[in-house]
Amino acid sequence: MRLRLKDLHLAQAGRTVLENLNGTFEEGAVTALVGANGAGKSTLIQAIMGELKPTGGAIECDVPKERRAWLPQQLALDLTFPMSVEELIMTGTWPSHGALLGYCGPHYRKARDVMARLGISHLAHRPLGELSGGQRQRALLGRTLMQEAELLLLDEPFANVDIETVEVLAKVLRDMANQGTTIIVVVHDLEQLARLADCVLVLAGGHGQWTTPQAILERHHGGDQRHHHAPILPFDLQNLS
Amino acid sequence: MIELFNNWFIVPFDYGFMQRAAVAGLALSLAAPPLGVFLMLRGMSLIGDAMAHAILPGVALGFLLAGFSLPVMSLGGILSGLLVAGLAGSVSQMTGHREDAAMASFFLISLAAGVMLVSLGGSSVDLTHVLFGSILAVNTTALLLIAAISSAIVLALALMFRALVVECLDPLFLRGQGVRHGLIHGLFLALVVLNLTAGFQTLGTLMAVGLMMLPATTARFWSKRLEGLMGIAVLWAMVASTGGLLLSYHLSLPSGPSIIMLAGIGYVFSALLGRYNSLRARLYRHATPLETGETA
Repeated sequence: MRLRLKDLHLAQAGRTVLENLNGTFEEGAVTALVGANGAGKSTLIQAIMGELKPTGGAIECDVPKERRAWLPQQLALDLTFPMSVEELIMTGTWPSHGALLGYCGPHYRKARDVMARLGISHLAHRPLGELSGGQRQRALLGRTLMQEAELLLLDEPFANVDIETVEVLAKVLRDMANQGTTIIVVVHDLEQLARLADCVLVLAGGHGQWTTPQAILERHHGGDQRHHHAPILPFDLQNLS
Repeated sequence: MIELFNNWFIVPFDYGFMQRAAVAGLALSLAAPPLGVFLMLRGMSLIGDAMAHAILPGVALGFLLAGFSLPVMSLGGILSGLLVAGLAGSVSQMTGHREDAAMASFFLISLAAGVMLVSLGGSSVDLTHVLFGSILAVNTTALLLIAAISSAIVLALALMFRALVVECLDPLFLRGQGVRHGLIHGLFLALVVLNLTAGFQTLGTLMAVGLMMLPATTARFWSKRLEGLMGIAVLWAMVASTGGLLLSYHLSLPSGPSIIMLAGIGYVFSALLGRYNSLRARLYRHATPLETGETA
């Protein structure tokens, strides 16, 4: 067990968003978090990151804070910030390396490896503001690789990125999971859900239900993954198993 | 030629008051622009102005209690600045009122209170001194205070530099690591208050913010890198404070406005002719060729 939700209740601005949420996120598992806008996906992520205090129940997590990584939606970042790709990736060392010490050789070597893995070596010194959406998303994932995250939360990582980047991101995420990283990813696209997720947590009507990618695909497309583009939301909780 | 140079740039510094003023200006130039760069990057360029108003009641109260004693006035300024910043933050958190609106409200109250206090206990000359400063009247005590505060700010900035950078770019990343929301923000605002307090003796409460913001906004036209922004801003602040002082000496102008005007001329020049995002850069766009090695 890396992360467990125990009878969790969450509220935003005095309004209950999620209640009686239970479940376990296992080591090395990729969990897709799906639900309509306002279903509570971001609220749950905030709570897991320790940003929002539960109104009831508990979140148990055995991953130390410095190994919890968070990949926000791209638009949440200040894109005019004067920082290069390499500098952004190096901030991933900050949680474990501390705020006072400078970077050393092994850090730079590791950053170069990370950039090569993500196919952005040639962009190392380019400012963030000059990157495309896909390039920026790769750089952000590079930071989490640098951080050696054991728990990784991603909010719509495939939104507004090109197909090649989707391939690279999916491969890197799968590799991270194989090495034991617990991954929770908000997705809106069934194709991504089918290729990435080991299990699915559906949020709707203030409740959560655990299911499998197959169950969702069968429910919406009769099990055929080739002829769909977007999920039909909200999900019908009653008919999922 | 050498004589002209000597008369313009060297001779003025034979005077003790010019030496102290120059050192005070250079000390402020080291500490203020990096704060200005961070304020600008956080989209808080006008907060410095608001903060400048916040220190006024404390300075005025110090003046009323102890006369023209710089340490007492500075202490008053620091306390009232921190109090008002804290109050604005608390009201914003407790009521859901936006922080900028809460700050604007408190700082306007502060300005009114400060001017009222000075008027009650002093003359319009005192008020002018507090509002616009007098760099040529910097004595040794003031110089030591300015140098000590500037050094403390540079040291504190060095210590919290990475946290500030990360907080500017992605606050959630920082908070995710357990750094309490508001801690870095609060410390940073405290440094801004400290800097304005150091600057008010020389430039006045209203213009101290000029040496903080103008070099920072100027640097934005010349660099896209954080260290470049900081370096250029500090350099330009040093040139403006020393140059402004010399202009003030030779042309019999008030020193504070001369310094800030020179910094402002740099800003206008950069906006027209700077390397990035200036009018010139927009009119004469050019593109670098594709990097041929990448596609291999």
